[in-house]
Amino acid sequence: MSAILELKHVSKFFGGLAANSDISFAMEPGMIKGLIGPNGAGKTTLFNCITGYYPPSRGEIFFKGHPITGLQPDRVCRLGMARTWQKVRPLVKMTVLDNVMVGALCRTNSLANARNIAMEQLSVVGMEQKTHFIAGGLPIGERKKLEMARVLATKPELLLLDEVMGGLNPAESEEIIRLILEIKARGITQMVIEHDMKAIMRISDRIVVLNSGEKLAEGTPAEIVANQEVVDAYLGESHA
Amino acid sequence: MSIFGEIIGTIRRVSPLPLLTFLAVTGALLLFPPLVDSPYALHIMILIFLSVIMGESWNILGGYTGQYSVGHAAYFGAGAYTTMILMQFREVPPWYGMLAGIAVSILTALIIGSICFRLRGPYFVLASIAATEILRLTALNLKDFTNGAEGILATDIPPLQFGSFLVTDFTTKDPFYYIGLVFALAVIAVTWIVQHSKIGYCFQAIREDQDAAHSLGINPSLYKNLSLAISAAFTSLAGSFYAVYIGFVDPTTVLSLDMSVQIVLICIIGGIGTIFGPVVGALVLVPLSEALRSNIITQGLITAGLVNEDSPVGQFLKENLAHAHVLIYGILVVVVILFMPDGVLGFLRKILTGKRRKAA
Repeated sequence: MSAILELKHVSKFFGGLAANSDISFAMEPGMIKGLIGPNGAGKTTLFNCITGYYPPSRGEIFFKGHPITGLQPDRVCRLGMARTWQKVRPLVKMTVLDNVMVGALCRTNSLANARNIAMEQLSVVGMEQKTHFIAGGLPIGERKKLEMARVLATKPELLLLDEVMGGLNPAESEEIIRLILEIKARGITQMVIEHDMKAIMRISDRIVVLNSGEKLAEGTPAEIVANQEVVDAYLGESHA
Repeated sequence: MSIFGEIIGTIRRVSPLPLLTFLAVTGALLLFPPLVDSPYALHIMILIFLSVIMGESWNILGGYTGQYSVGHAAYFGAGAYTTMILMQFREVPPWYGMLAGIAVSILTALIIGSICFRLRGPYFVLASIAATEILRLTALNLKDFTNGAEGILATDIPPLQFGSFLVTDFTTKDPFYYIGLVFALAVIAVTWIVQHSKIGYCFQAIREDQDAAHSLGINPSLYKNLSLAISAAFTSLAGSFYAVYIGFVDPTTVLSLDMSVQIVLICIIGGIGTIFGPVVGALVLVPLSEALRSNIITQGLITAGLVNEDSPVGQFLKENLAHAHVLIYGILVVVVILFMPDGVLGFLRKILTGKRRKAA
């Protein structure tokens, strides 16, 4: 099967600092790819490069076989790639429904259609009862779900989730895991940044490990757990 | 086409009570000039309409899209000057001058926008002020074209006629009243349409979080420039209307920072990002500034018997209150900003919903 997303030697420098250096990997459609690494490994920077927030300094990115290197985020989103933010970014003064409608308007010009799409996605994340709440008043768990509904409304083929479980309690994390698996069942490819090792091992089909901006390893969860280099760099010396 | 169908569909869904209130108020306003035979009252109403147009225009950019331009005098001045120069030096009727003014303003807006929208937040505010100052200084120094600091005085306004049928020759205030009313209603209608369409959602998403909007498929620079263009077009309309009504333009009134701030204040006082906020702002600010400027307040206190005209206090008020109008105006504005952060409209709404909650 051809790759939905392919990175070829992607590097990103901030001045002399290499936030990402020579990263290459490919993603197969329908899979969940975990992206892990210690703080400052360059995970979010890589997301920003892929989704067009800044162009990579070197290398090329292909989405569904088309080069998307240097495309603006709105173009990337219209092509079918959506991302969430590590620090959630709800449109605080707008209602939950309006937030999701903004996502839906990426695919339609009609407010009525957008409203239908938005309601559908809100029921997927289980927030159909809260449509008229103001987004700024939601607790963190619901903000994360709102963000998921909003990106789903853009009808993505590839979803990039940046720490959607960060700051959540175990019950809420469990809900998000269920949601991610449900999204997978609908055939949407996902790349997930996560610090919760148990969760990432459970949901990922393959995992890429970054360390200090470089790709350290790639493999199935079992392979990653058994990889001595990863264990040393990421999970800590005490495990060795 | 689907967008028009959408708008018609939305109009059908509007609940009847606000719509009926709106129609009733509009009807009453249409009957106002024949019933109230006072040029002064008409003058105040015309100034209110003018403020409504200015406020609603700014509201589209500042209130909905969240780009706090403090340089809207640029478009007001562009409209005023274009209309006046064409009317006075080229004998072009102000109707065409107004359309030309809109074209000039949109062009100016796109140039200013392409530069200033690279900046965000307070930096955008500063850039918008700077851009307008450049225009003011240009108008001041381009004497052959704008008559410089002397300004341009309208000698006579060509009458409005269709063929041989004379509609009005603009000798009374009535035509200005109706034109102002129609313009004000038009800009309210446009704001309503914007709020109930895709572009309104895109504007508000950019206001709330530009990066999030960008990641959801919204092109921020496209929509910010679109918002500015709509806003500038109607601000220009207000400028043209002002120029013909007052009959005089000069750089220090129509292109001043004062004018830019006035435009912003209408929205801040009334309520930013709401359809009727600027209307409320205009209803508060215009009468207030008129009352302070004239001696109405002192006269009122004297007639009510609260202050003796010949007492030292009465004398003091009579001599100084009108001079202090800018000071008092400023204090009142500060009070509103401090105690009504959502503007007068937001404050009234809070009181109403608070009461409803208590009743429930």
